[in-house]
Amino acid sequence: MAVAVAHAGAVDNRDHIHPEPESFIAKYIFSIDAKVIGVQYMVAGLLFFIISGLLAEVVRTQLLTPQGAIVSNDTYNAVYSLHGSGMVWMTIIPLVTGGFGNYVMPLQIGARDVAFPWLNLVAFWMFPVAGVILFSSFLIGAPDAGWTEYPPISIQGPPGTSLWCVAIFLIGISSTLTGINFLVTILKMRAPGMTFTRMPLFVWAQLATAMLNMVATTALAGALLALFLERQFNVPFYDPGRGGSPLLWQHMFWFYSHPAVYIMILPAFGFISEIIPTFSRKPIFGYKMIAFSSIAIALLGFTVWAHHMFTSGMAPWMQLPFMILTMIIAVPTGIKIFGWTATLWGGKIEFHPAMLFSLGFIVVFTLGGVTGIFLSSVPVDLHWHGTYAVVAHIHYVLFGGSIFGIFAAVYYWWPKITGRMMSNKLGAVHFWMTFISFNATFLPMHWLGLMGMPRRVAQYSDTAPYLLNSFTLVNQFVSISSFVLAASTLVLLYNMASSLIAGKKAPPNPWNARTLEWQISSPPPYYNFKKIPAVLKNPYEFSEPLPYLGLDPSDKDDVHPDPTHHTPVGAHA
Amino acid sequence: MAQYTAPRKQGLGPGFWPVTIGLTILNVIMSFGIANLDIDKYLPEAAAPAGDIDWLFKFLSVVGNTIFVYVVGYIVYFCIVWRRKASDGPDAIGIQIHDNPRLELWWTIVPTILMIVIAVFSVRIWISLQNTLGDVLTMESIGHQFKYEFRYPRLKQSVYDDMHIPVGTPITLHVTSADVIHSFWVPEVRIKADMVPGLVQTLRFTPEKIGTYRIICTEFCGKEHGNMVATLHIDSQQDFGHWIAAQFKAQGQGNGPINLASGQAAAGQALFGQKCSTCHSTGDFTQKIVGPGLGHLLNDPDHPNLVTGEKPNPEDIAHVLVNGYQGPDNSQGKSGPSIGVMPNRQANALSNADIANLDAFLVSLSQNKS
Repeated sequence: MAVAVAHAGAVDNRDHIHPEPESFIAKYIFSIDAKVIGVQYMVAGLLFFIISGLLAEVVRTQLLTPQGAIVSNDTYNAVYSLHGSGMVWMTIIPLVTGGFGNYVMPLQIGARDVAFPWLNLVAFWMFPVAGVILFSSFLIGAPDAGWTEYPPISIQGPPGTSLWCVAIFLIGISSTLTGINFLVTILKMRAPGMTFTRMPLFVWAQLATAMLNMVATTALAGALLALFLERQFNVPFYDPGRGGSPLLWQHMFWFYSHPAVYIMILPAFGFISEIIPTFSRKPIFGYKMIAFSSIAIALLGFTVWAHHMFTSGMAPWMQLPFMILTMIIAVPTGIKIFGWTATLWGGKIEFHPAMLFSLGFIVVFTLGGVTGIFLSSVPVDLHWHGTYAVVAHIHYVLFGGSIFGIFAAVYYWWPKITGRMMSNKLGAVHFWMTFISFNATFLPMHWLGLMGMPRRVAQYSDTAPYLLNSFTLVNQFVSISSFVLAASTLVLLYNMASSLIAGKKAPPNPWNARTLEWQISSPPPYYNFKKIPAVLKNPYEFSEPLPYLGLDPSDKDDVHPDPTHHTPVGAHA
Repeated sequence: MAQYTAPRKQGLGPGFWPVTIGLTILNVIMSFGIANLDIDKYLPEAAAPAGDIDWLFKFLSVVGNTIFVYVVGYIVYFCIVWRRKASDGPDAIGIQIHDNPRLELWWTIVPTILMIVIAVFSVRIWISLQNTLGDVLTMESIGHQFKYEFRYPRLKQSVYDDMHIPVGTPITLHVTSADVIHSFWVPEVRIKADMVPGLVQTLRFTPEKIGTYRIICTEFCGKEHGNMVATLHIDSQQDFGHWIAAQFKAQGQGNGPINLASGQAAAGQALFGQKCSTCHSTGDFTQKIVGPGLGHLLNDPDHPNLVTGEKPNPEDIAHVLVNGYQGPDNSQGKSGPSIGVMPNRQANALSNADIANLDAFLVSLSQNKS
């Protein structure tokens, strides 16, 4: 510790600080400040979340009647395809990595920015461009074969399918660049004294996610390029009539898209690993187990992709290793769930909206994890695969997991980002409305699927042959619940708007949290830290003094520029 | 600064053991409920692996339910007992423990063992799904946009939309697709396989309960995916015998192979006037009436193929005459726009000799006008 102290005393990076850009464009549009870029991701992600969510409501409205209530089959197929693509690639992944990763991670490791700020700028701007390309495919005939776009049907798909390839390729490159950027940032730019086991758990989650983003996304890029070439230039990669293989796509797609599931969920694990200790006033239970299980999940995540393909036509013996490896992932995932639950024990639990969403997250994610075990077992999967039971499962892990996590993160970091407080009452209303309508929407889908309703259908048979005897009745219940679920988002939007307009000013640390971002003003100054602090311990010891040296809580923007000094990697404007 | 004094006696907190016992009792009751659930009543187990798969499903439900009830139960209980109370000062903090290696070891080992047990049971049932069973009926199903085709041994023509199988006879079903990926799922049998073009997959099951069930496509296959269904009839051995006999009879049992060499172009010309000229001219491909002109089937450089995409030769022309055609125009070698519907031989009432004669006439057209 003495070394760290001495070191901290020597580190005074005051003269490395650049002046904040003056012009509106450099400050808010083409900024290289990770915090501004993080907010840009969040704003764009929120916009795409709303669009993709409204598409989901079109799907549910269509399914109010067995014959399809409002749109043609072709429109319906395009709508659910873009709902899925929009939610996965334009909402969840950008929000949990680019959004909260950019804003929070550098602050938590005591850095002034990410390692490659210009790369960050490029990576961000690919995202809204990709989003606009994706949704503009509606103008020329949007892709209609689901977010997975299995060939050969996707080869024959509408012209917009090629735009889909371009959009997802672009967002994939953006993810890869962000992955590289975050990996270098976390490995090289931690404040002095922040050893691996002193890193906040959210940083651990971002580290695991960055590895996944960097490696897995390239497989998707290859698959997309091949599909694009086949569609536009008639190069037969996937058409079995000309020597191609439809399964080639499935392997490449899932080699990315299964790790992508963890790209979407690991950061959410990180959110709630910060929120639960803060609102329980306790150290996280089993810090090392939770940190290392993120890495274990990330590594195992590369070995299980073919569990999406048990009915697809692999050699049957290949089903066994994928089944067993998938079941093994349940173990590190269980360790996390048990660790969060044990953290509650002996706490002083405060039911802040962020905490409510974190608790809701554990409950619904556990259910989604349990149905994951059913899907991992080949014989049971032969019944579940391709039905509404799978739709239920993915929404329990992606909505109940990632989106609940994002909601929790919004309530948690909102004061830090905006400098304003949100209404806790409205937050609680939002939580209960979401939690109840979420379960009412997705729980009955298990029944629909197991009784015989396949996914991606614009029409369904009216009567279920057994039990309840009506698919229609259950679908109507699900649809109406989903309307309430959509309405619950309005509560969040209203809460955000009223906070921005008339919210109370936020103190630097409204939750008495202990990670670094809470020890500086809200919102943080342009340069984050006037002096880079030294870190003495992990950030979860609520009974001890703050483990940071060299922090000046009264940091104000009093830096004057010195254009002559040495420039950090790529940071010069 | 937070004030922290360790509690004098650090027990597990009020009500921990009663709650644990309560959750355990709840789990035992629910496990019994699941174990005794007669799934057959709600979704019949109509064929052999369904019972095994439902047993595995119930086992997984017991495990999953137990985990879920404990996790949610403890969360709710902790939230009640360990909530921040009005009497707590602003600096009140929780009990500062960091971990408990023994507890963590347990909650790593127990799930690992559970997963091993689940894997063992899964593998055992998986093996039984791979076994070919004794004296079987081997048949084929082919997915089309948007219907199912079924082929029976020795039955020359396919059957569509209705699949009949006899109860008690093990079925080996080979599935594939003629166009895009479809899937063959019978919920009452609990198994499915994707129908992938260029790939044959095998499903094995033994029908046990007479009745009619749904065959459902679960892989998105195009505009009418939601309406791609067929009916599975599990018949008694006797009913199945009657049905298959009727099929043989309806198809003119003994149609025999078509002898193309015996075809007479002149007879074919007369027949063309009766049967074909309503829709086809004898001019260029582009001189369409409903379907394309058939004057240059063998030697049209702009349309080197038949509409099916096959190279033009007498055998494949006969093939179209037998099966009719309903699909895109592939005569230019790649998938083209949809063309009109051509009925098959039954609808056109074409005998083997008729087909041979028509074929000879169509071939002669190209030769005359070369």
